[in-house]
Amino acid sequence: MRIPKFEYFCPLSMEEGCSLLYKHKAEAKILAGGTDLFVKMKKKEILPKVVISLKGIRKLDRIEWDDREGLKIGPLVTHEALVSHPVVREKFDFLSEACFKIGTRQVRNMGTLVGNLCNASPSSDASAPLLVLETKLKLVDLYGERVVPLEEFFVGPFQTILEPQEIVAEVRVPPPPRFSAGSYEYIHKASSVGESLVGAAVLLVMDPKDSTCQEARIGLSSVASTPIRAKAAERMLKGKKLGDKIVREAAQAASDEIQPRSRPWYRREMTKVLVERAIFRAMEKMR
Amino acid sequence: MKKQLITLRVNGESCELAVEPQRTLLETLREDLGLTGAKEACGTGECGACTVLIDGKPILSCLTLAIEAQGKEITTIEGLAQGGELHPLQKAFIQHGAIQCGYCASGMILNAKSILDEKPKPTREEILKGLEGNLCRCTGYNKILEAIMAASVGKD
Repeated sequence: MRIPKFEYFCPLSMEEGCSLLYKHKAEAKILAGGTDLFVKMKKKEILPKVVISLKGIRKLDRIEWDDREGLKIGPLVTHEALVSHPVVREKFDFLSEACFKIGTRQVRNMGTLVGNLCNASPSSDASAPLLVLETKLKLVDLYGERVVPLEEFFVGPFQTILEPQEIVAEVRVPPPPRFSAGSYEYIHKASSVGESLVGAAVLLVMDPKDSTCQEARIGLSSVASTPIRAKAAERMLKGKKLGDKIVREAAQAASDEIQPRSRPWYRREMTKVLVERAIFRAMEKMR
Repeated sequence: MKKQLITLRVNGESCELAVEPQRTLLETLREDLGLTGAKEACGTGECGACTVLIDGKPILSCLTLAIEAQGKEITTIEGLAQGGELHPLQKAFIQHGAIQCGYCASGMILNAKSILDEKPKPTREEILKGLEGNLCRCTGYNKILEAIMAASVGKD
């Protein structure tokens, strides 16, 4: 299978990249890892006239950590880099676990987190942890930049708010709240390599004195047209002492608020199981 | 599209060639350089038959542009034997009957090499997780696993 012909550009700066993209807009595609782009081009699902590679721009493969601002992840950072990065492993262990689950060893060495988010698959594994971490994306174009919450970035299956002239320049993950722990649980789809049937991420913020749940965040992938937060379930847990009953009720609430596009019964059942499991696992980590 | 002159470093040797931008590393290796060890099967990054090492890490050469592999050390199965002597993994694959039709073997062995380079004594589970992106249609996974375990034990 051959990749259809295209004109290739490899700009040396983000400004140059934005200017090329501004010129070619919807006729161009941005190339980071290529694991989604070239598959779609080989299958002739998309046929861009122009491919603009980010590989010539320095420092885009960096992961930076700052105690106040949190993580900054460049658009060329691969899943493998997130799996093995010491700060990500320590402070965002469940994000690192989700990245380890993506694709295969070869795909993780090539595919980038930003590329995965731009592909906007409803089943994107990293999305659920990133949603509960209240991640933001920095989008740039020739004339400026905007910062948007990840939650608003996805608008439908494989659709984002990204304008044709915009590039995702950075993923910003704020530091996890104090006295919090997160977890990610998933089950595989049997019909596809590494794709999740349901993914559930949970982040709990607990009161260190009396261990009530001050805040709960639940992110779900592969259960709606985009990765989503299960807000009704989150509200049920807030301010409560977490025991079997309330956790089971919240998992049921999460299962009620999803909108699966296929296999709804099974996805609802599995959402219940995985949300419950993820809450208990996050609680264990708090101890 | 216009061809571009590129320099690739493959198995320790530099080679200059002219390629169109859409040409994959796999096509270049097989059709321009005559290195047919890396195979094309699915062409979409699921099977791992096209696996080669770039700077020691396994990647899919069917989804990598040749022009973007410049300035990197590319290792194919043809580059594993040293001075006419097969690599310990290649020997182990032969000894354990881990090669049936052989189509997946070059990708399997290169990925296994990177797994052992990263961790000389991986567990059975770590090897299996590492090999999830290499499919063997003959389903000879047990013998492949045995061969890799044997090669890792030999690392003492």
